[in-house]
Amino acid sequence: MVYDFLKRLMQFIVLGLAQVLIFNGMDILHGAIPLIYVYFIIMFPRNYPKWAILLWSFVMGVTMDMFTNTPGVAAASLTLIGALQPYLLELFLPRNADNYIKTSIHTLGFGKFLTLAYILIIIYCVVFFTIEAFSFFNFLHWLSCMVGSSLLTTALILALESLRKK
Amino acid sequence: MNNLLAFIIKYYHWLIFFILEIVSGVMLFGYNNYQGSMWVSSSNAIAGKVYEWQSNLWQFFSLTERSEQLTQRNIILEERLQELRKENARLRGDTTRFLPNEQQLLNKVRWIPAKVVDNSTNNPDNLITIDRGSADGIERDMGVVCGNGIVGVVYMVNEHYSVVLPVLNRHSHISCTIRESDYFGYLVWDGKDPSIAYLEDVPRHAVIRKNYWVETSGFSTIFPPGVSVGRILAIYNSPDGLSYRVKVHLSTDFGKLRDVCVLNDPSIAERARLNAAANDSLSKLK
Repeated sequence: MVYDFLKRLMQFIVLGLAQVLIFNGMDILHGAIPLIYVYFIIMFPRNYPKWAILLWSFVMGVTMDMFTNTPGVAAASLTLIGALQPYLLELFLPRNADNYIKTSIHTLGFGKFLTLAYILIIIYCVVFFTIEAFSFFNFLHWLSCMVGSSLLTTALILALESLRKK
Repeated sequence: MNNLLAFIIKYYHWLIFFILEIVSGVMLFGYNNYQGSMWVSSSNAIAGKVYEWQSNLWQFFSLTERSEQLTQRNIILEERLQELRKENARLRGDTTRFLPNEQQLLNKVRWIPAKVVDNSTNNPDNLITIDRGSADGIERDMGVVCGNGIVGVVYMVNEHYSVVLPVLNRHSHISCTIRESDYFGYLVWDGKDPSIAYLEDVPRHAVIRKNYWVETSGFSTIFPPGVSVGRILAIYNSPDGLSYRVKVHLSTDFGKLRDVCVLNDPSIAERARLNAAANDSLSKLK
């Protein structure tokens, strides 16, 4: 339990710092940025307590908001995919899956992991950029942010996933 | 009752979900509330510290370019000094001419040097975080400038960090004049190119030409007159056809902003008080 908490905390800090220090400064296609912290939510294993996923995603969201001066935007969208992640994961598990199976390419297979990750990322991007657009709506900008960010994020997550040990 | 309890125990994570979403919603829609939003902004201590480390690192890598920029600036200033010397020599002969005492005026202004620890140019509403706060004498609504020109206005102040509302924010309206002809308008940004801003409401009869300089007017109680803003690139008609809309190439490069100065002018506060008093007495007359 304590080991798991420390592990998550490390992931939290590493992914959060990577986002704040490296990826927030990237500006590809006018506003599309890789949102690597979504990986933190995707990684939760099967049967992880749902309240813990929700709290982790909320805290991650507020932290990211703090650094980009967008209070509530990332928090609301991350909490939403935090709530959806356990249910979506159930749909993609192989038959006779282990009760506490990890969410990774090795356990789910490339295709299933990619689909799961992309669904969560695209939901996140749609919600995130739509809430952000409340103050300033420009359809093309909104679309390019959503498509660009979701593709960049997926590519990055696949790259990180291939580095992860089995 | 037992059923209700059983229901809550079974689905309590949904309850948590809704509570967290409501909290996010409150943060999202309560952002205009200045006090309430303080702790989720980058003027908060943790965010400020992390950004400070990052900018220290970047600063190290950009030292060469900065020294180059400083040298250039030095040359420009030396040229200006030369011009002023000539002007001074010419005017010494004419003792009856009245000159406002520029030196005295400048002495009154206090500059607080600060470093930019967070900056962005890609959003429609950019904000800049600097590493000075109320402990260093910074207050809300003070002007911020850099070596090349205007930057923005202090928007939020914490103990050691503050957030600046730069020209590159759609909520920024700064009163400016055209240096060569003294006509004035206000500077806005359209949320697109970080090197271009627009001067709105310039009267139709104003004398404007390309490459004229735009500077602050000193009408607002934030900036003194004469801080350079940028050069005129093009002149358009405003949508209602009643005034000109002037395209300005900003002299400040917001993409690599590092050292700025916060302007602390006691006489400005005095003028603001006087203004407020005048408005008060006017409203009493009505």
